[in-house]
Amino acid sequence: MHQRTRRALAALAVVPVLAGVAACSSSGDAPESSGSGDEEVTISIMGKPAATNTAAVELFERQVAAFEEANPNITIEASDVPWDAKTFTTRLAGGSAPTLLRVPLTEPPALIERGQVADIADVAAELESFDDLNPRVMQFLEDDGAVYGIPEKSYAFGLVYNRDLFEQAGLDPDSPPETWEEVREYAKQISDATGKTGFGEITTNNSGGWHLTGYGYTFGGRVIEQNSDGTWAAAFNDDASRDVMELWKAMRWEDDSLGDNVLGKQEDLVAEFTAGNVGMWVSAPPDVYPNYIAAGGDPAAFGAGPMPQGGADATLAGATVLMVSGTATEAEKRAAVKWIEWRALRPNYDLEVAAETAKASAADGLPVGVPVAPIFSQEAYDAYRDAIAEYVNVPVENFAPYVASLEAFEYVPEPAVASQEIYAALDPVVQAVLTDPDADIDALLDDAEARVNQILAQYAS
Amino acid sequence: MTLSPERLSGTAPGRAAQTADRPRTVRRGGARRRAAGAALVFLAPTLLIFGYFAWWPIAQSAVLAFQQTNLVDPAEWVGWRNFEVLFADPLLPRAALNTLWFTALSLAIGLPVPLLCAVLMSELRRGGTLARILAYLPVVIPPVVSVLLWKVFFSPGETGVVNSLLAAIGLGPLPWLQSPELAMPSLVIVATWSGAGTAILIYLAALTGVSTELYEAAELDGASVWQRILHITLPQMRGVILVLLLLQIIGAIQVFTEPYVMTDGGPANATVTVLLMIYRYAFLFGNYGVATALSLLLAIVLVIVSAIYLRLTRSWSTR
Repeated sequence: MHQRTRRALAALAVVPVLAGVAACSSSGDAPESSGSGDEEVTISIMGKPAATNTAAVELFERQVAAFEEANPNITIEASDVPWDAKTFTTRLAGGSAPTLLRVPLTEPPALIERGQVADIADVAAELESFDDLNPRVMQFLEDDGAVYGIPEKSYAFGLVYNRDLFEQAGLDPDSPPETWEEVREYAKQISDATGKTGFGEITTNNSGGWHLTGYGYTFGGRVIEQNSDGTWAAAFNDDASRDVMELWKAMRWEDDSLGDNVLGKQEDLVAEFTAGNVGMWVSAPPDVYPNYIAAGGDPAAFGAGPMPQGGADATLAGATVLMVSGTATEAEKRAAVKWIEWRALRPNYDLEVAAETAKASAADGLPVGVPVAPIFSQEAYDAYRDAIAEYVNVPVENFAPYVASLEAFEYVPEPAVASQEIYAALDPVVQAVLTDPDADIDALLDDAEARVNQILAQYAS
Repeated sequence: MTLSPERLSGTAPGRAAQTADRPRTVRRGGARRRAAGAALVFLAPTLLIFGYFAWWPIAQSAVLAFQQTNLVDPAEWVGWRNFEVLFADPLLPRAALNTLWFTALSLAIGLPVPLLCAVLMSELRRGGTLARILAYLPVVIPPVVSVLLWKVFFSPGETGVVNSLLAAIGLGPLPWLQSPELAMPSLVIVATWSGAGTAILIYLAALTGVSTELYEAAELDGASVWQRILHITLPQMRGVILVLLLLQIIGAIQVFTEPYVMTDGGPANATVTVLLMIYRYAFLFGNYGVATALSLLLAIVLVIVSAIYLRLTRSWSTR
């Protein structure tokens, strides 16, 4: 073939492969240090509600306008694009990463490890309410005196269930299952009686590993442990994980109560659950509820129960966290923390603001009063609940079993290092049990242990 | 296999060069140099743009394969460590084998299907335009949309679209994407469906170049439709088939959208491909160095595959 053709084809082969990764190949500039006076500053922030949720957007825009009026030197550029590792890294490479990141609690360990978020300890310490933040949540965000984020809301794993399907299956919707054996019984009863999926499970985009971790905690298991020399090792190749996987295997292949579509992520399950096709599943009920309502779910059919237990009385804890980009200047950092105080903290401890915000939200038709694991002390949370009581429009009693469990369980954090990589390594294990009736659980755990140890070899503390 | 229009249009200069007569070299030093200088002036903007947007990132990413960066602090040189991490990853052989399996399947399905469709469509006496529109329609649908559509089609229960069709002939239901064995062939079906239209159009265009006298002569000799296809059509289209085959190999090795959207590499790693690994290293684990190292390796493999292929087929295509 002609020489030129060959070159053209070689170029064709190379360009698409390299171009994608090259987009993030330039290193950003080190953050500039600048004064902390009242200079003009513009910050880009995440956390604007989705455009489809017009009521929430209106409330948000009113809050931005009020904030800018109170802080005339600060301009807010808000984005409704949710957290996405892909866009974040690309924008970081391009120098346009948002100043304020709003991320799930799975992200901070990796962001802190990679130095991509700023230490805001000095600015946060000036906040009136900082010392009242719940230490159960802050333990994930503080490290040797450094503070890397402030929680917007927190949660713990619990059981989300459909009260209507419970009734149709002859179960009491006010008494959700508390142990895994009960979950198995209830799931079979639901799928036998209604033909729907008794218990929904998610297995892709790292959600399989995330659930295996969370379920393992309820049997007393842990995913990784730190050796005395600071190195990390896989700790999940034990009875706790085996119990979880045996349970999955039995429910999938003996009881046929997990449904036949087991290759999906959380968003898929929320859609199925909202449509009334799933009896129960594990997630963070306060996080699921707004999406469930926005998608047209029936408030009365939503139930939230305690995280089912295998004997350890423990649950995986999570939160939505606000962090400041590592590339932010001092002035941007200060402005971002001021905004965090304004939007996320004040409505929780300033009772007047809490009532005003609740009133506005209720008027806009947004859910008010979803019970959560408090980000402040229990006393502060109780006062907050009293202040918003008259505007609550969520069937709080449907959350009662979940709320009652929050004080009873130990909160166990996600793996301290390489959480996403570990979850990615565990996804195939969960998928294997749910898609292959002959899956060898011991061999799967052995393989995954070797894989995770290989990942952890890169992380010494 | 997926053939994007960009990739296909890239073959145009090559094919033109292949068929055009070579100009004879004439010794006219000064005039030639002046002409070359003028050409360079006209070419300069294009070369600069191409160099900046295409080759500079490539060079940068080759450098990044030997660095570690968090995109905040300056990058740090780590030598061969990214490659060591990569080769210690037990998923790499699995991903490489899966990618080869996908490529083999897409050649087995994706090469003959469009060719057969094009040849049959060219034999149609009526409805040819409608057939072309129908064949090209899937290419117009955005890839993610068509992939999500197929995800619904492949729903594993008895009510799934594909399973309902199978039930009509007494088969199934099959677990499709939920089965480690069936997941990869399912992805190949989707990729073929969404990419075949472009290949069909190119084959049809090539078919118009086949001399009608050959067919007339064959018909006079009493050749059947299949004999005409076998002895005239296919040999005449050899050049196009070979180029499309190479593009298909290159495209299939870089498969990403289907496993990313439909299976996320599952179930149990059955559809993890090399590109999916690159994506995970870069965007999920934030390890850009290892991701670029793997990209670089993949690019080298593709260049070698192309070179070997072109050397092997040179004698056929220029015959």
